[in-house]
Amino acid sequence: MIQTEKLNKIYKQGKLKVKAVNNVNLKISDGEFTAIVGPSGSGKTTLLNCIGGLDKPTNGKVTIDGEVISSYPSNKMIKFRLNNIGFVFQAYNLIPVLSAKENIEMIMLMQGYDKQEREQRSNDLLNEVGMGNMSKRRPAQLSGGQQQRVAVARALASKPKFILADEPTANLDSISTAKLLDIMSRLNKQENITFIFSSHDQRVIDRARRVITLEDGKIITDKKK
Amino acid sequence: MIFKIAWRNIGRNKKRTLITTLSVSAALFLIILMRSMQFGFYDNIIHSIVQSYSGYIQVHSNGYWEKQSLNNAMEIDDDLINKINSVDGVKNLTNRLQTFALVSKGEKSKGAIINGVEIEKEQLITDWNKKIIEGSQYFDSTDQIVLSKGIAEYFNTKIGDTLVLFGQGYQGMMAAGKYVANGIIDLKNPGLNKMTIFMDIKSAQDYISSDDIATHLIIDKEKYYNEKKIAENISNVISDDYEVMTWKEILPELDQMITADNVGGLIMAFILYVIVCFGMFGTVLMMTEERKYEFGVLLSIGMSKIKLYLIILLETIMLSSIGVIIGIILTRPISLYFNKNPIHMDSFGEGLSDAMGEFGFDPIIPFSINWDIPISHAIFIFCVSILISIYPAIRIFSLNPIKSMKQ
Ligand SMILES: Nc1ncnc2c1ncn2[C@@H]1O[C@H](COP(=O)(O)OP(=O)(O)OP(=O)(O)O)[C@@H](O)[C@H]1O
Ligand SMILES: [Mg+2]
Repeated sequence: MIQTEKLNKIYKQGKLKVKAVNNVNLKISDGEFTAIVGPSGSGKTTLLNCIGGLDKPTNGKVTIDGEVISSYPSNKMIKFRLNNIGFVFQAYNLIPVLSAKENIEMIMLMQGYDKQEREQRSNDLLNEVGMGNMSKRRPAQLSGGQQQRVAVARALASKPKFILADEPTANLDSISTAKLLDIMSRLNKQENITFIFSSHDQRVIDRARRVITLEDGKIITDKKK
Repeated sequence: MIFKIAWRNIGRNKKRTLITTLSVSAALFLIILMRSMQFGFYDNIIHSIVQSYSGYIQVHSNGYWEKQSLNNAMEIDDDLINKINSVDGVKNLTNRLQTFALVSKGEKSKGAIINGVEIEKEQLITDWNKKIIEGSQYFDSTDQIVLSKGIAEYFNTKIGDTLVLFGQGYQGMMAAGKYVANGIIDLKNPGLNKMTIFMDIKSAQDYISSDDIATHLIIDKEKYYNEKKIAENISNVISDDYEVMTWKEILPELDQMITADNVGGLIMAFILYVIVCFGMFGTVLMMTEERKYEFGVLLSIGMSKIKLYLIILLETIMLSSIGVIIGIILTRPISLYFNKNPIHMDSFGEGLSDAMGEFGFDPIIPFSINWDIPISHAIFIFCVSILISIYPAIRIFSLNPIKSMKQ
């Protein structure tokens, strides 16, 4: 379970203080399929970054399965991310010089899986996201949507506790968006994988089972379907 | 996997990689050839003068070098020889008795240096048998001598011809004698070739009318030993009645010439290295800066900073290594060729070879094929590339994934 308590992130720009995340208290349970929505500048990215340990909150804390990760030193945090959190970014997620399959294997290599296991799992994951026949291609030879599917597969490779995706569909057309969402929601239903993603897109928001709306860094609505 | 990533990153911008590695190999190419030429040149000098004539170290009676007179000659005894032989690095040593004489044959006469030598021991130092061009190197009787090529030509001498030597003997006595040419030697050294006559040291002692004296003790060293160290050690074991000199003291002009030339080469190499450094640094700088976003992603998904740095370090090392390998591969055949077919100094302009002849060695430059040259410069470039990768190291260790991912 992910929990934030009185989470604040304040950016100072000269004398101006921007409360990018303003006193957010949030609980996200295992198996959720949750969208964080809100207008541009409302703090979605900042909130996800704090949850994923990429950014340190100004005050308040982030707890993941009882561990207060917001106070981890950066080296420990890198290791924690490797083993517990899967990331999908808006674009350019993959290492350009590695093939789709190698991108996935790399994560498992860093975790210390043996060769056979890496081979097996990367193939399974690529098949799972419908990319089994393009495993040898480099990112530049894939469309944006295909790259994002590989990115999801890579995020899953480390067997993380949850996957954070900041606007994963922002650069995709509607067909690719629909495909990616199909895959994500199937993984969520069948494998019980927790997804937390941010989005502007109403079609994406419609697919979420819980929608948290931010405005000026504050949660203004939190609806479960 | 890190290796694979680094290797492929090298291929990512092929043009840049090509330009960078070529600049490394071009610089290395010039440096290696220049140094091979220089060291080959020095080796040639040292071989033709030091190793085959003057010796790395000489011992004389104190004051002899100042005033090269027989009155400053020394008595040689076994104790002295044993003491010198006991010093680490001394390989061979031999006595010479040297004196000036007027040589004449028929109408012609000419000044020369008589060198009384211990032929068996001399052979170990100067490789005589390889230099004899006519007759024999040995002295079968006390009136036989070996002439250097120049003297033989001057007097138009054949084996068996008689020459008269005339000069000053020990302690003011007169020295004179008739001698028979038994061999002609090419000392591979224009200066010495013009004026050297060899005879057995016993004959020379007879000629000057004094037993058991010598003017020079010529010492050859073991390879890789420093002659200055050996000279110091010899000084410490023998009495103050002797002076111990290295070839650099005996032939200071030669040493100065080599040093000046060597410094010139080092300055050139340094300039080339500076250019290479900037070239490589520029590439590494670009490689780091343009991939900030990628680094951010890698850090986010859990790659450690050390691994990230290792990738860049490997890329830097690969870039320079490719350049180094190309540079060495290109220079090797050239060095080998000019080692076998030395450049003659006339090709650098008229007169230069005469000037070199004055110094007393063949005006040729056989290139050095010592692996020390390419290897030392390869190691230097390797170290430079590690030094250069300090910049990406600093960038990576201060990298914040969020900031680097904000374009
Ligand atoms: N590094 C920063 N320095 C200063 N202010 C920042 C910084 N990063 C974000 N902000 C500010 O924090 C607020 C929240 O930004 P954030 O990127 O989280 O918004 P967002 O909801 O993700 O927007 P979008 O939908 O455009 O991606 C904004 O007002 C932004 O200007
Ligand atoms: Mg955002």
